[in-house]
Amino acid sequence: MANMAVSRIKREFKEVIKSEEIVQCSIKIELVNDSWTELRGEIAGPPDTPYEGGKFLLEIKVPETYPFNPPKVRFITKIWHPNISSVTGAICLDILKDNWAAAMTLRTVLLSLQALLAAAEPDDPQDAVVASQYKHNYSLFLMTARHWTNAYAGGPSRFADCDQKIQRLKDMGIDEHKARAVLSMENWDLEKATESLFS
Amino acid sequence: MDSDEDTFDNDNVDSGNVSSGDDDFAMEVDISSSRERQTEPEEYHYEVLTTDQIVQDMVDSISDVNGVVNLPRTITRILLNHFKWDKEKLMEKYFDGNEDKFFQDAHVVNPFNKPNTISVPKVTKSTTDEICEICFSRNPSGMMTGLECGHRFCKQCWGEYLTTKIMEEGVGQSISCAAHGCDILVDDVTVTKLVPDAKVRVKYQHLITNSFVECNRLLRWCPSADCTYAIKVSYVDARPVVCKCGHTFCFDCGENWHDPVQCRLLKKWLKKCDDDSETSNWIAANTKECPKCNVTIEKDGGCNHMVCKNQNCKHDFCWVCLGSWEPHGSSWYNCNRYDEDEARAARDAQEKLRSSLSRYLHYYNRYMNHMQSLKFENKLYASVKHKMEEMQQHNMSWIEVQFLKKAVDILCQCRQTLMCTYVFAYYLKKNNQSMIFEDNQKDLETATEKLSEYLERDITSENLADIKQKVQDKYRYCEKRRKVLLDHVHEGYEKDWWDYTE
Repeated sequence: MANMAVSRIKREFKEVIKSEEIVQCSIKIELVNDSWTELRGEIAGPPDTPYEGGKFLLEIKVPETYPFNPPKVRFITKIWHPNISSVTGAICLDILKDNWAAAMTLRTVLLSLQALLAAAEPDDPQDAVVASQYKHNYSLFLMTARHWTNAYAGGPSRFADCDQKIQRLKDMGIDEHKARAVLSMENWDLEKATESLFS
Repeated sequence: MDSDEDTFDNDNVDSGNVSSGDDDFAMEVDISSSRERQTEPEEYHYEVLTTDQIVQDMVDSISDVNGVVNLPRTITRILLNHFKWDKEKLMEKYFDGNEDKFFQDAHVVNPFNKPNTISVPKVTKSTTDEICEICFSRNPSGMMTGLECGHRFCKQCWGEYLTTKIMEEGVGQSISCAAHGCDILVDDVTVTKLVPDAKVRVKYQHLITNSFVECNRLLRWCPSADCTYAIKVSYVDARPVVCKCGHTFCFDCGENWHDPVQCRLLKKWLKKCDDDSETSNWIAANTKECPKCNVTIEKDGGCNHMVCKNQNCKHDFCWVCLGSWEPHGSSWYNCNRYDEDEARAARDAQEKLRSSLSRYLHYYNRYMNHMQSLKFENKLYASVKHKMEEMQQHNMSWIEVQFLKKAVDILCQCRQTLMCTYVFAYYLKKNNQSMIFEDNQKDLETATEKLSEYLERDITSENLADIKQKVQDKYRYCEKRRKVLLDHVHEGYEKDWWDYTE
């Protein structure tokens, strides 16, 4: 069993290295250890999305029964997206669960994740807070997502307003990530964020 | 098929024996027995099938259909499963016209279009090695295989894929092709060919048999624990069937045989007893909500001036009318707004809930009482067996003590029936017939308890003749009363006497 998983991963690895997407720097796979059971993926935020310009790291764990069971994938880079948990990085995507097919590869998984960044499905959310912001206050969602891309994934857009509010909470002794998370959840309402932090 | 006819014949012979026996035997009740036979519903034919017979039945069904439609057996099986083993429906749809849609809906490649679909992959892959898209290894064409959809993988990967599906996901009939987005189903012959491990094949056969029984309206597994038999009937009806393991159950709903209550009401009742609906009924009957903050309050004493203990609320109100306490004045704690319409409505609602709860408990307690007694059935049989052995040592013949076993049989039957009558009665609306029913019920209940009491008594050589007489009289009486009760309910079903309270 494990032999097949390893030999397939080895081949897939070669496939990704050679593939066109690598040339365009949009996806990447690296080894984490020598056992071939854990890999590090990287995808570029697709253009014309709030994730543009960011690089997102993924943790890929290959189960013994691969490719008959899907790989376990989660975002290491923090991201603001309805189908990805802003806390744990867990992903809600059908092909990583029931719709996995043995003929799919790591390359198709990474490309699907890229597609997920470009087309969120707020009606089937992993992160309910993000999803509700996406549905009810789309412009604020875009700003938050861009801000997170800038803060964690090296994206280009800075928002002075957000930075200021985070700084205010940091001055109160709050950790920067916590400040950002709470502000994002409270739709950048400083008062509400303070309340929820200290109540 | 031969064996079918045999059993039917036997049944007929049996029933013939019984009725002719009746005629010889019950001379004095000739009139009543002939009337009984009129109301007696006709014989309900069923067969108890072993696992092997189920498989045979499945094979027979496939052959039956194949005799008409002439398709590969593997395809027929998938089609039959798609139509829940309803042969008529399959044929109807098959001859209905739209062939492509017919096969597509069942997730099968249309066998009549075969030449086109298969030719594409063959041309491209006939020459040299192929790469399996699952393990990415290069294989000679002979090692590669696939379904009619044309997606080909190496045999080892197929084996692994099917094994994972069968062993981990427990999928049988509905394993589809391993390619992404392809929903063409894998047929049983292919599975058997590609799965190397015999254990997995056994599990697969098991899954297939199970889905055959579960899908098929005319088949039902015996619900008793660890029993592997299934019952096959010729039409579905709420009738008692007896499995070879000895368990008697209702074919329609699978519950223990529950005459006189109908499956629908029994199901409702079991659900009512099962879930927490009664807890909420209790809460509704015994508590009230604070009219301001809605916290639930149980009043366990004190006057009618309530002060809500919820620290954020502290609302003052009157327990009787639920109005604010202020207008009640502070001089005496007595609600003088008692008769006002609003208060009366609230009180009525409260009253109704209370009485409905006590009504439910009335029936529930009696139902549970019989169920508990039935649970000791084994113990009772053991003690009676012991008693019978003892009596045989006291100069009594084997045949002379058999009446005890018969008495216990009847006792259990009566308890089972009585248990179900409480479910029936709970949903029954009062009318003249329901009163007759309740009288019957009461009579049977008293007699059954009496019989139960006789069976508890110590039997000595002095009182034996007396006890034997009493027990026999009582169980004959019980048997008769039970029949009367059931016949009355059945007659009511036929003549639409019963109104329900739902």
